[in-house]
Amino acid sequence: MNWSLFFGELVSGLTLGSIYALIALGYTMVYGILKLLNFAHGDVYMVGAFVGFFVLQWLGGALSPAVTGWLVVAIMFVVGMLACGLLGVGIERFAYRPLRNAPRIAPLISALGVSIFLQNSALLLWGPQFRSYDTFDLVGVKSYHIGNNFFISNLQILTIAVSIGLTIVLALVVSRTRTGKAMRATSFDRDAAEMMGISIDRVISFTFFLGSALAAAGGIMFGLVFGQIFSLMGFTAGLKGFTAAVVGGIGSIPGAVLGGFLIGLTEAFATGYLPGGSVYANLYVFALLIGMFLIRPSGLLGSPVIQKV
Amino acid sequence: MKKLVVAASLAALMAVLATAAWGSTRGSNKVAAPANAGSQLVKCGKTRSIGLMAPFTGPAASIGINQVHWANFYKNSYNRTHKTKIKFVNEDTMLGSANGTAEAVKGAQALGSNSAVLGVVGPAGSNEVKATTGALKGAGLGFVSGSATNTQITLDGTRTGYFFRTVPPDSSQSKSVSAYITGKLKLKNVYIVDDQEAYSTGLADEVQAQLKAKGVTVGRDGVSQQQSDFTAIINKIPRSAQLVYLPWQLPPKGQAFGQQMKGLGRGSTKLMGSDGLFDPLFSKLGSNVYDSFFPVNPSDKRVAAFKKIHKGTELFGAPSYVATQVVAGAIDRACKNGTASRAEVRAQLKKTNIPASTSLLGLPVQFNKNGDMVKKPFGIYHSVKGVFVRVA
Repeated sequence: MNWSLFFGELVSGLTLGSIYALIALGYTMVYGILKLLNFAHGDVYMVGAFVGFFVLQWLGGALSPAVTGWLVVAIMFVVGMLACGLLGVGIERFAYRPLRNAPRIAPLISALGVSIFLQNSALLLWGPQFRSYDTFDLVGVKSYHIGNNFFISNLQILTIAVSIGLTIVLALVVSRTRTGKAMRATSFDRDAAEMMGISIDRVISFTFFLGSALAAAGGIMFGLVFGQIFSLMGFTAGLKGFTAAVVGGIGSIPGAVLGGFLIGLTEAFATGYLPGGSVYANLYVFALLIGMFLIRPSGLLGSPVIQKV
Repeated sequence: MKKLVVAASLAALMAVLATAAWGSTRGSNKVAAPANAGSQLVKCGKTRSIGLMAPFTGPAASIGINQVHWANFYKNSYNRTHKTKIKFVNEDTMLGSANGTAEAVKGAQALGSNSAVLGVVGPAGSNEVKATTGALKGAGLGFVSGSATNTQITLDGTRTGYFFRTVPPDSSQSKSVSAYITGKLKLKNVYIVDDQEAYSTGLADEVQAQLKAKGVTVGRDGVSQQQSDFTAIINKIPRSAQLVYLPWQLPPKGQAFGQQMKGLGRGSTKLMGSDGLFDPLFSKLGSNVYDSFFPVNPSDKRVAAFKKIHKGTELFGAPSYVATQVVAGAIDRACKNGTASRAEVRAQLKKTNIPASTSLLGLPVQFNKNGDMVKKPFGIYHSVKGVFVRVA
């Protein structure tokens, strides 16, 4: 057994999975409240990565930041998450709310339209070229060795820690706050929640804000760990986030996190161990999605929907 | 709703598979030119139009813009010293982006239908050359690339008489690379990561075969050109590997690979790129970086003049200067009687003869019957303080 390879792929998988988990959380929250698959979510993640990049430039760039590197990173996260949170609210207000009582296929088409709109706007505004975060210059990447086989970098630790931290914060918001209670009530029975005096519009907007902010955090983390961002990065990442949400059980917050890690680990271990894995890792990931549909359609932590007939 | 989720997932899966299948299409595009392709005579006039196909935008824009700068550098000097003028008709091929090949084909079709265009400079990538052959050949246009190096594109006979290049083929590049790795660096363990494109896999195959023949242990893997996370594949590279060879086309990807190597504590492993990574983004990774590159005469006065204008040291586009010179020369000769056809320009392309004394490459530019240069050496470069310096 090559333990160095095993631990390496484990850390890579967890790092990638952390990013997918943050994207999956947005998918699952919106689905939980609205029963809508927000296909524009991957593109919000891309916008988040770009906002982070422009904040970095605004603060002097990686080579000569106006403040210390880690403070720049913190500001990138705050501004990126706020901007994308507001973008998410805007998308809900203008693209989904008018269709709330329309047949379910209408908001789905609208979501695809918003996705294409965001992708093409990014291409038009920022071009198709890659942008580099230059993380080495910004914060100095260090790798830590434990024994001969275990290596992890400070950015990988940051990514996994931020992802887990944000998930805990989200879980606390949903389980311990009045707004969280309103979210759960809306998810359980929207009409009943409205009759109890809950402002459904406000709850839905807040859900979009949270989901989009988490996606932005994922986009910025991607830029920091993997160095590069580009206009079309949201498409595949969005699909993987969606896959993670479905594998974990769409509508379930712990399920989204579990699904994210599972997808990340599948991708990393497929690259490391399976034939042609580095080229066909996506094939293995989506095979997992199909397998999950066949074995457990409601996902790992999802509960089967009981329909009255 | 469950059905909707299933349907949406399957639709998404189909989209991914379709994109992958489209992206991996590598047909040789064997389109026969019509018998009268390009025989229509046009009045040459004072201004001659040349198609310029390059990645103006997209992941390969950093090298594409450099090619455009060099092509324009020739155009400007030509326009200053000649009574006739050159005009470029630009087509952005967006090399390396998700829809790059389709953009290149669209550009080739646009040039083909523009009757004023008598010859083409570009495209940049070997895959693009393959993809655009049908459109360019069908329109009777001769095209000269300053960077497409795949060995087979001049040998498979598909574009003979239409396609020419001012760079040596990968068969020459692979010889220089394997000789340097075994002869100068004296390495015994090398890992090759291709990017699944025709240019990359072709060059990787050749280097792999030559290194193995010299007794070197060679590992091999591939990545997708759309990939940005290389950590999983870096983990797979044995720690005993002394050098990782990356025959890639996109400098930002090479940069990301090198940075992620460092992030995983593998910063001391040597990296060697191919001509596609001959860019400051790659050389600035550190002194562990090597590269192979086309022949260019660095002491030529034109190199100094170019650097003065563009404030850079990038020579990647220099063969595109020569490609423009070749096309402009062929059009001038074809236009001697005031009219020219694309077929006449192609005939003149074959007769190109730029002596070494006036060639920016430092060697004569003449083509063999396949469209390759008769003389075709490749240089090896080492990154010293972030700048590539020729070492072999």
